[in-house]
Amino acid sequence: MPGKTKVLKKPNRSLAEQAYLLEIAKGLGTTLKHFWQGTSQMVSGNTPDAVKDPWADGIATISYPDEKRPYAERWRGVHRLTHRDDGSPRCVACLCCSTACPAQCIYIKPAEYAEGDARHGYERYPELFVIDELRCIFCGFCVEACPCDAIRMDTGTHMTAYDVKSDFIYDKAKLMSMVSQHGTQKSENPRHEPGDPTHPGVDRLHGGH
Amino acid sequence: MLLFWISAIVKIALIVGTLVNMAAILLWVERKQSAMMQNRIGPNRATIKIGSLEIRAAGLVHSIADGIKMIWKEDWEPVGVDKFLYRLAPIAALVPPLCLFAVIPFGPTLYPDHARDLYDASWAQDAMRAVPMQITNLNVGVLYIFAVAGAGVIGAALAGWASNNKFSLMGGLRAASQMVSYEVAMGLSLVGSMMVYQTVRLDEMVTWQTQHCWGIFTQPLAFVLFTTAAIAETKRVPFDVPEGESELVAGYFTEYAGLKFGMFASGELVEVCTSSALLVTIFLGGWQLPFVQLTGFEFHALGIDLSWHWAHFIVVIVGVLTFVLKCAGLIFMQLQIRWTLPRFRYDQIMKLGWRMLLPAALVNVLATGMVLLFLNGGAHS
Amino acid sequence: MPTFKLDDREIPFEKGETIIQAAHRQGIEIPHYCWHPGLSIAANCRMCLVEVEPPPGQRAMMLDILTWDAAKNDYVVDRKPKLQPACQLAASDGMVVRSESSHFVKNTRAHVQEFLLANHPVDCPICDQAGECKLQDYYLSQQHTPKRMLDEPVHKPKAVPFGDTIVYDAERCITCTRCIRVCDELAGDHMLDLRERGNRNEVVLAPGRKLEGDYTLMTEHVCPVGALTSRHFRFKARVWTLKETPSICTGCATGCNMWVDVDPREERAYRNRPRDNAAVNKYWMCDDGMMTYLRETERRVLEASARGDAGRTKLTVDQAIERAAAALKGVPKGWLAVLLSAQASSEDNFVMVEFARQLGAPLYLSAKAGWKGDKILRSEDQNPNRAGAVAVANNAKVGTMKDLLHAVSAGQVQAVVGLGTDSDAEGDALATLGRVSDVVLLASHDGPLAARSTVLLPAASWLEAPGSFMNVRGIAQPFAKALPPKGDAVPAWDLVARLGRAMELDLKYRKFKEVRAAMAVITPAANPEKSSTADATAPAVQPQTTA
Repeated sequence: MPGKTKVLKKPNRSLAEQAYLLEIAKGLGTTLKHFWQGTSQMVSGNTPDAVKDPWADGIATISYPDEKRPYAERWRGVHRLTHRDDGSPRCVACLCCSTACPAQCIYIKPAEYAEGDARHGYERYPELFVIDELRCIFCGFCVEACPCDAIRMDTGTHMTAYDVKSDFIYDKAKLMSMVSQHGTQKSENPRHEPGDPTHPGVDRLHGGH
Repeated sequence: MLLFWISAIVKIALIVGTLVNMAAILLWVERKQSAMMQNRIGPNRATIKIGSLEIRAAGLVHSIADGIKMIWKEDWEPVGVDKFLYRLAPIAALVPPLCLFAVIPFGPTLYPDHARDLYDASWAQDAMRAVPMQITNLNVGVLYIFAVAGAGVIGAALAGWASNNKFSLMGGLRAASQMVSYEVAMGLSLVGSMMVYQTVRLDEMVTWQTQHCWGIFTQPLAFVLFTTAAIAETKRVPFDVPEGESELVAGYFTEYAGLKFGMFASGELVEVCTSSALLVTIFLGGWQLPFVQLTGFEFHALGIDLSWHWAHFIVVIVGVLTFVLKCAGLIFMQLQIRWTLPRFRYDQIMKLGWRMLLPAALVNVLATGMVLLFLNGGAHS
Repeated sequence: MPTFKLDDREIPFEKGETIIQAAHRQGIEIPHYCWHPGLSIAANCRMCLVEVEPPPGQRAMMLDILTWDAAKNDYVVDRKPKLQPACQLAASDGMVVRSESSHFVKNTRAHVQEFLLANHPVDCPICDQAGECKLQDYYLSQQHTPKRMLDEPVHKPKAVPFGDTIVYDAERCITCTRCIRVCDELAGDHMLDLRERGNRNEVVLAPGRKLEGDYTLMTEHVCPVGALTSRHFRFKARVWTLKETPSICTGCATGCNMWVDVDPREERAYRNRPRDNAAVNKYWMCDDGMMTYLRETERRVLEASARGDAGRTKLTVDQAIERAAAALKGVPKGWLAVLLSAQASSEDNFVMVEFARQLGAPLYLSAKAGWKGDKILRSEDQNPNRAGAVAVANNAKVGTMKDLLHAVSAGQVQAVVGLGTDSDAEGDALATLGRVSDVVLLASHDGPLAARSTVLLPAASWLEAPGSFMNVRGIAQPFAKALPPKGDAVPAWDLVARLGRAMELDLKYRKFKEVRAAMAVITPAANPEKSSTADATAPAVQPQTTA
């Protein structure tokens, strides 16, 4: 089957346009107008507030580190690991995040809580929790996948530009030290630990009947 | 004789120093101008801190930072380059535009002995005591310019060839063919002017324009053709396919870094200055300001006779300033063209060069000849 | 063969078979928890309920029930048929069974599943069964509704140690009693039982006992949920990151079929699992066999070395082969002994036999000493391939290690080329080997022979190269490569062939396929393609009772 041919109409240009010179002059006029507008705004110090009104006429950029546009509440920033009440990570090293990660930037080495710990034999924790922030594409799949609300991207900050590549490899301590944009290291979702008063229920010894 | 040598050395130092620094200043102009045109703030963050004083100079410090960066950057050379040619290329790219300025008159001749006197034509008889505002006054003038400008292609071609990189090679090829093509149109476009001025010496061209009228009025088509060809020669937008980053990374200087890259970049900006100076000299009356003669301000028309005599050195200063300001205007226009026009396609460039500019230049020569013949009443001039 | 009808499909069955068995053989899975093809029938999970249509002319047994009518916003009187457990109901000719096609069955399964999950802690993130858990599978395929019970679930003991190998979590347990039955019927030791009833029901150890014996890990293997977890695997990996490779257990001469689960990213084996084979191991493996994956990384020979005056020096494999070839070339005919290995694959031994035949060297066999066998799976012979090594010798005489040491004492051996590192002879007796000037050994692991070698070449282990073993009953079974070789290791047959070529022998083998093909021609008995009955989808058989 022969392919369909789409015949494009030749643009209808007048001789003056074809000659190009006049059009160049017009273009130069436009740029000159903008040059004049921008320069007069800068010289008079009368630039519009681009933070509040990005569509204002004239100089529309901001001096980034001095002025910042606010991030949306659900904007995905650098990861943090949320804390439990006792300061240990909520993470139970289930590897759901590293499985979901399309960039494969999360490495977790699970470990068992030490003998004597209340969670020994019952839960695990991440001995190593490493995110390669250079590989990360900030898709948020890890946050979606996390069943324990242990990893969040609500820090409101983006990656710092470090000098050394290894600085971009965030380890557990670094991730645990990150704070959400509201200043908390915890998560608002409740968590019930076995033995907590918030963890009621019948069991074999303290029956309900 | 002593005056000649001292003045020559001072003039050379002044011009080379100005031109090289102009590259840095033009870099700033280009950035800030484009920022203003594009509703941006532009560069302003480089700071020199002296105690609590912070000098930002509206982004001019960036040019200094760039210079320092280029000097201190690793002088990296890729594997497999032709070392000699690779190192020669940036020099070959920067030197011709600097040399071009040698024959451009940038002011009226200065007679230091009569600095405070009113101009008198008899001073010119003592040639040894005159300081022409021109490094050297060659009797081949414009031809020298074509020769040296033609050498500019060598730098780009060498860089493309020596870099051992296909992108560089393509860029070098494009640069060479484009510059050779436009040189033809450029040369022919000036033939009409030479016929009108009856000379190839640039100082005499300025003198002719002082006595009659500016070249842009006698040769308007040549002005357009020459401007176009000159922009093409500088390899800047819209004629920047030799370094077209969308297809060739950075063209013929892809493999250059540090100061070598800086020489290419500043060579380009010096070319902008030089071509502007040439345009001013040939078409815009050079250092000449309307109604300012060597004796001062003279207006004798419309029944008004105004005469305001200036000391000789003031006239020279006014002349030099006039030249500088005219150049600045043209430089601004050339930079503005860069931020206004999109890049031509390569075949469009070739078509424009050979099928538009060249015939137009030939027609211009023919028309000029016919007009001159008519004006001179058919007599052999 | 009589047939019955399951969802419009004719299913053939043998007399005495249940519906679930016959369907299982046809590759149809009727959802189930407590039924296991290798165990007796408990019929306590109620997941496999099916609707059986009454014989022609008879009324179906119907039950009066109340169903929710959303339009009336009230319960209305309704009827539903009495459902039957497919695992317990024997098939009969012409029976009409409806499983997927009956909305009663689907409804019931959803409710059974909901009941099983009512008190479940849903701690999948910290559960090692996650990913291969039947509760997860059936939740998605049968239930797929949110939990309706609003009360706090019943809390039961967590992380109860059941002996040295197994940890029990009563909250995850659905008390299907598979583990109890595996102890009773496979190990023949009633170590586990149930206590309490209803939602307090849980598995406990028999008083004064702990879970012990050689088959404790099978309790974890049959557990359909995360209630029983093995200490060696728990908290180590997630099952969805693992890749299974069919392999053969190297623990003893039984040659149990197994899957070895490796993490391809870390190139590390994480566990063994029994692979069903009705002819060899049915559905089971012993604890020692389950742990062989750990033995694979212990004491590995990862680089070639040679023994000199100043101890062992490291060599590249090529250097070591050159050195060995140079030493062996000088040995006069008849003074070289070739040592086969009962631990190495038939293919490795086959190339070694070829090597020996071309040099006219006598054959001997190195093997591990015997161990305690049992009547369930474990063979007295600890070597996976003694039969295969003998079979590839092709009727040539194969002496034992003792014979070799005798010959050495008698001064009849000047050099030895050997496979493997194990020896059934004692340490003192092995010292005799010191009289041999050149001992070239191709070993994957360090051991008594490796320590006495003059040139040691690193061989790939059983997980790092394909091959086959012939078990004690003469069944040759292939296994696949699960991991890339570690260090400088190379498959042993390749090392032998390269050594042979360095000695200008006619050993052209460069690919494993060529070795397998040559073996099929020269010693067809050892060829696994022919005699193996290894089949992952083995038919269901009657539960094996050993008690």
